[in-house]
Amino acid sequence: MESGEWHLVWFTVWVSFLSTLLIFPFGLALSWLLARRKWPGKSIVETIISLPLVMPPVATGLILLKLLGRRGPIGGYLHDHLDFDIVFTWRAVLVALCVMSFPLFVLFARVAFEEVNPRLEQIARTLGAGNLRVFCTITLPLASRGIVGGMLLAFARALGEFGATIMVAGNIPGRTSTLSLAIFQSVQLGHDPTAFRLLGISVVLAFAAVWSSQWLVRSKRR
Amino acid sequence: MSLLLRNVALPLTPFVLEVDAELHGPVTVIFGPSGSGKTSLLDLVAGLRQAPSATIQLDDCVLTDTSRGLLVPTRSRSIGYVPQDLALFPHLSVRQNLRYGSKPAAGGDPLFSFDHVVEVLEIQPLVQRRVTELSGGEQQRVALARALLASPRLLLLDEPLASLDLNLKSRIIPYLARIRDEFRIPTLYVTHDRHELLALADEMMVLVNGKVAQIGPLREVFNRPASLAVAGLLTIETLQAGRIVKTGDALVTVSVGSALLVSAEQAPVANTAEVYICIRAEDVILLRGADGPGSARNRLPGTIRSLAPEGPQIRVELDCGFALTALVTKQACEEMALKPGDIVTALIKAPHIHLIPR
Repeated sequence: MESGEWHLVWFTVWVSFLSTLLIFPFGLALSWLLARRKWPGKSIVETIISLPLVMPPVATGLILLKLLGRRGPIGGYLHDHLDFDIVFTWRAVLVALCVMSFPLFVLFARVAFEEVNPRLEQIARTLGAGNLRVFCTITLPLASRGIVGGMLLAFARALGEFGATIMVAGNIPGRTSTLSLAIFQSVQLGHDPTAFRLLGISVVLAFAAVWSSQWLVRSKRR
Repeated sequence: MSLLLRNVALPLTPFVLEVDAELHGPVTVIFGPSGSGKTSLLDLVAGLRQAPSATIQLDDCVLTDTSRGLLVPTRSRSIGYVPQDLALFPHLSVRQNLRYGSKPAAGGDPLFSFDHVVEVLEIQPLVQRRVTELSGGEQQRVALARALLASPRLLLLDEPLASLDLNLKSRIIPYLARIRDEFRIPTLYVTHDRHELLALADEMMVLVNGKVAQIGPLREVFNRPASLAVAGLLTIETLQAGRIVKTGDALVTVSVGSALLVSAEQAPVANTAEVYICIRAEDVILLRGADGPGSARNRLPGTIRSLAPEGPQIRVELDCGFALTALVTKQACEEMALKPGDIVTALIKAPHIHLIPR
């Protein structure tokens, strides 16, 4: 493999990992709120975060492009006041991956929290535990496997992201190109050997992520 | 102890739980059919549920007062709670479960020390095990020990024996009695089992459809159920409709079926002639023949309809002009050679015939 391809693989894994890490605290907080609390506007928030799961990724990418572009409300503000650009940089890749994998993680983490028997948390309180201790010693350990499984799937989803990324980050070799984008480009240009090498790598990565999440789910049932 | 429950009102489906009571314990049994609001009441006392209206005070400490917006959080209440499903933490070992709520030993009461509690409940050999490896009875004792180790001021036990079979039940009851005698923690004990009730309770509160049907010392409630519903719940064996025919000399004469009974109760039925009579089977004495004077006011000739073993005793169904049930020991039954069709005399003292207005 050429050094450019190694860089490509490294960049894809790194940015996917970073996006999973970034969504983790927010996703955890939101999924706990969805599983355990009633609040006004809950169903609207639920619907909005599920949208990227069901909408065409390209459409989500277009929304992001319009929001984050230099003339968009968010991107414009960042460019004018902080001289900070997102679109067509590696940051755009990160944003696209976060937005696309966030709903998947919340979906899994929420179910994991819901499966924890609330009676256990209540009894922990009668034994003198405050909210933080109950969460750290009862809720989180009992939901941990589902949460980790959700993180692995979110990571896998990020590895394979294509539609939103190409809209908001383009496909700039060495800067915003990811595995999926590079495979597409190689096929377009007729570079089949490159496409197959990259295909092999993505199969290995996807296999590892899915297999380890299934292993976690199985060991939870045991 | 004094546990004050004032103006407690909690809407449940299909009724409203309404309690206004003062409990003195030390062991108060909350007795009632399933779905009568017993668990919800424990949840309110523990602060796990909030009622729109409630004042709850344990001795001199106000735990809940909705009129002042006061609500002591569950973790600060020092109330031990063993729920029906025990709620042992499945991801922790037995030792970690036991230690979860235990206060630091320094300055602590040696009565509630780890070693002592573990010894009283005989769970030493289980401490290293995983919770999921325990049998039903073992889980039960671990859950009790975990609650005790937090040195609670009040213990809430929600049908602690409901999930165990009869054999295991009789093995756990002595542990509960030991907890009562050893630790002297006031206890609210929810059950609908008569055996647990008789073995453990000092005081009882009968809850029917969210309302307090009766409250008082155990003997008082058992001997004088306040209503037909309470008598039915306590499964008092003989419960028959009757009519008062004569009052006087501190005794009341009641006609039941074709028989006349004499009761020593007047006050509860002062304004009515229509009554129910309650006679507990263990208060009925059987006699061969009917000779000689005796102190029992009621001597009823009757025919034995059937005999059936009930634990160590024999349940005898009689026809004395109305259906009467007696409990006699096996030995007595053999000595008297009782068999269906025999004619015997049933003796019942007048104070043992309890009357409920209809």
